[in-house]
Amino acid sequence: MSDALREKPNAEPLPKSAGAGVIVNGRYLPPPVDKDGKQWVRTSAFIQASPQDLYAMWRDVEAIPLWQEQITAVTRTGDKTSHWVMKSGDKTLEWDSEILADEPGERIAWRSTGGDSDNAGEVIFETAPGGLGTVATVLQEFRMGKFASMWETIVGRNPKQAVIENLRHFKALAETGEIPRNQGQPHGPRGTVGGAKESLYGEKVETPPAMDRKAS
Amino acid sequence: MKAVCWMGTSKVETLTVDDPKLLNPHDAIIKVTRTAICGSDLHLYDGFIPTMEAGDILGHEFMGIVEEVGRGVTNLKRGDRVVVPFTIACGNCSFCKKKLWAACDNTNPNAHLMEAAYGYSGSGLFGYSHMMGGYAGGQAQYVRVPFANVGPLKIESDLPDEKILFLSDIFPTGYMAAENAQIQPGDTVAVWGCGPVGQFAIASAFMLGAARVIAIDRLPERLDMARSVGAITIDYSEDDVSVLTALKDLTAGAGPDSCIDAVGLEAHSTELQGIYDQVKTKLMLETDRPSVLRQAIQAVRKGGTLSIPGVYGGLLDKVPFGAAFGKGITMKMGQTNMHNYMQPLLERIEKGEIDPSYIISHRITLDDAPEMYKVWRDKKEQVTKIVIDPWAERKVA
Repeated sequence: MSDALREKPNAEPLPKSAGAGVIVNGRYLPPPVDKDGKQWVRTSAFIQASPQDLYAMWRDVEAIPLWQEQITAVTRTGDKTSHWVMKSGDKTLEWDSEILADEPGERIAWRSTGGDSDNAGEVIFETAPGGLGTVATVLQEFRMGKFASMWETIVGRNPKQAVIENLRHFKALAETGEIPRNQGQPHGPRGTVGGAKESLYGEKVETPPAMDRKAS
Repeated sequence: MKAVCWMGTSKVETLTVDDPKLLNPHDAIIKVTRTAICGSDLHLYDGFIPTMEAGDILGHEFMGIVEEVGRGVTNLKRGDRVVVPFTIACGNCSFCKKKLWAACDNTNPNAHLMEAAYGYSGSGLFGYSHMMGGYAGGQAQYVRVPFANVGPLKIESDLPDEKILFLSDIFPTGYMAAENAQIQPGDTVAVWGCGPVGQFAIASAFMLGAARVIAIDRLPERLDMARSVGAITIDYSEDDVSVLTALKDLTAGAGPDSCIDAVGLEAHSTELQGIYDQVKTKLMLETDRPSVLRQAIQAVRKGGTLSIPGVYGGLLDKVPFGAAFGKGITMKMGQTNMHNYMQPLLERIEKGEIDPSYIISHRITLDDAPEMYKVWRDKKEQVTKIVIDPWAERKVA
C-alpha cells in the first residue's frame, strides 16, 4: 500500500442496526441530508428473487465488476476485507474496504479503510409483500473530494446517480441474467452536439460488465 | 448496411452504417424483411420527442428472419421468421409478471433520463429516443433485438409479410385501444383519428361487440377506409360540422359510450383553441396540442370510458377535468402491452377474420424513406400506411 493510501482518513462506520431503513417505528424516515462534506444517497428496488440469493450475489465481492459501473477489479484480501480498483476515464482509483456487518439474507454494511475513496454503505434485503419478491435498499455515504469530483466531471456520472444505476444493474442482472445495453450499436454520424450529448446522457459510462470481460 | 437515420427535426437520411452485432446474451440479430413508418415516427420527425440525437436509426415496426442469436436465447434459432414488438420486455420483473409489459423495469439502459423527465421509466422502445432506451431501430437491413426470448413472435405459417407486419405495433395498439374502451355489446364508440391505429381501433371495436363506430377525421381516403369497414364518418373540417353536435345528434344527445383518442399530441383543430395550442407550443409554454382529448372528454356520455392510444409527451393545457369528474368517466391509456395481443391477433389473421394489409397505401425502398416522411407529415399523396422493403432497389424514374 502506498503512502497516499495510508494517509486517507477512514470513513465512519455505520450504526450497528440497519441505517438504510425507510420506516422506523411506523414513521417514514427521510434519507440523511448532505452536510459536513458528506453526501448521502438512498435508493431501493423490488427484485424478483429471494433475500438469501440477493445477499449471496452482493456478498460475492469479486463478481462485483459484473454489475457495478467502472469497477474493474475487486480482490478479496481477507474474510471481510477487499481491495477495489476503479477506472474512471483515464484515471485509476484504488481503495481498501472492509465489511462491518454481515447478516446472511438480511444485511451487509461496509466502509473504505484507505485509498482514493472515502465511502461507507449498507444494503438491506427484506421480503416484499404481494409477490413483489425482495425490497433491496441501499444507503451509501461518501465524501466529496478528489474521488467524487473526478467521477462527476470526467465521466459525466454524478456519484449519487452511480449508486442508483448500480442497484438498477444489480436488479436487472438478478432478474434477467443481463444488464440492458445500448453501447456498441450502429448509428449514423453524431456530429459535435451528438457526441457531447452522449456524455451528458451518461452513455459514455460503460454498462457493466465491460465488453472485454464478457468475451472471456 | 443501409438504415434510415434521424439527423435533426424534419431531417431524415438513408445512410450506410455498421451492421449490428450481438452485445448481450439474450440478443438476436434479425435480417429485416419488412418494416414500416409509424404515425408516431412523425412525432420524432417533427421534433416533439426529446433526446433524439443525430445519427439515431429510426423504426419500431419490423419483422424478419433470425440471422444470429446470443448464447442465452433458447426459443429462436437462425432462419426463424419473426415479428418483433416495438416495446422491449424482460419477462421477469414484477411488471412483466403482471403482463404490464410496457412498464418493464429492466429494458431501458437510459432509465435515469426518463426518470429525470417524467419521474418514472417504462420499457425500452426501438428507435424512439435516448430517453426510451436509445436502441437502434428497424428501418434498416438488420436490427439487434434484445431480450429475444420474450418479444419476437415466431410465424410458422406462410402468410405474406404484409399480413403479419402490423402485429409489431399498430394492430395490437388499435386492439388494446378498443379493449381499453370497455365496450359492451350494442355500444356506440367514437374514434378520433383514422390513421392506422384509428383504423385498427375501429375494426377491433366491431370485433369486441360495438354496434356502431363513429370515425372522425378530415382526410377523404381515411374516411372512405373507415366507412368500408362499417363506420359512420364525420369530417370535422367541413364548414358546417361541429364534432360535439354531430356526436350528440348521432347518440340522441347522450354522447358515445366510449371515446378513443387515436390522435395524441399533435392534434389539428379547426377551432380557436387549435390556434391557442399552436402558439403556446411554439413558445414552449405547452408541449402538446390536446384538442382531441378535450373534445373526447366533452363528448363521452356520463359514466363512459375514454381510451387513449394516441401519444402524449408532456404538459397539457385547458383539459376540462371538471367535466371528466362530473360525468364520472373512466380513462385508460398507455403504451401497448404488446406481448398480450400478438399471439391472439395472429390467430385472428390466420383464421381470416382480418387482413391488416388493407391499410397499406405505399410500398417503398429505404432510399425513398426520407422523402416519404415528409410526404406523410404534410398529408400528401393520400398516405395511410407506408411499408418499406429494406432489400428492394429504388426504381429509377
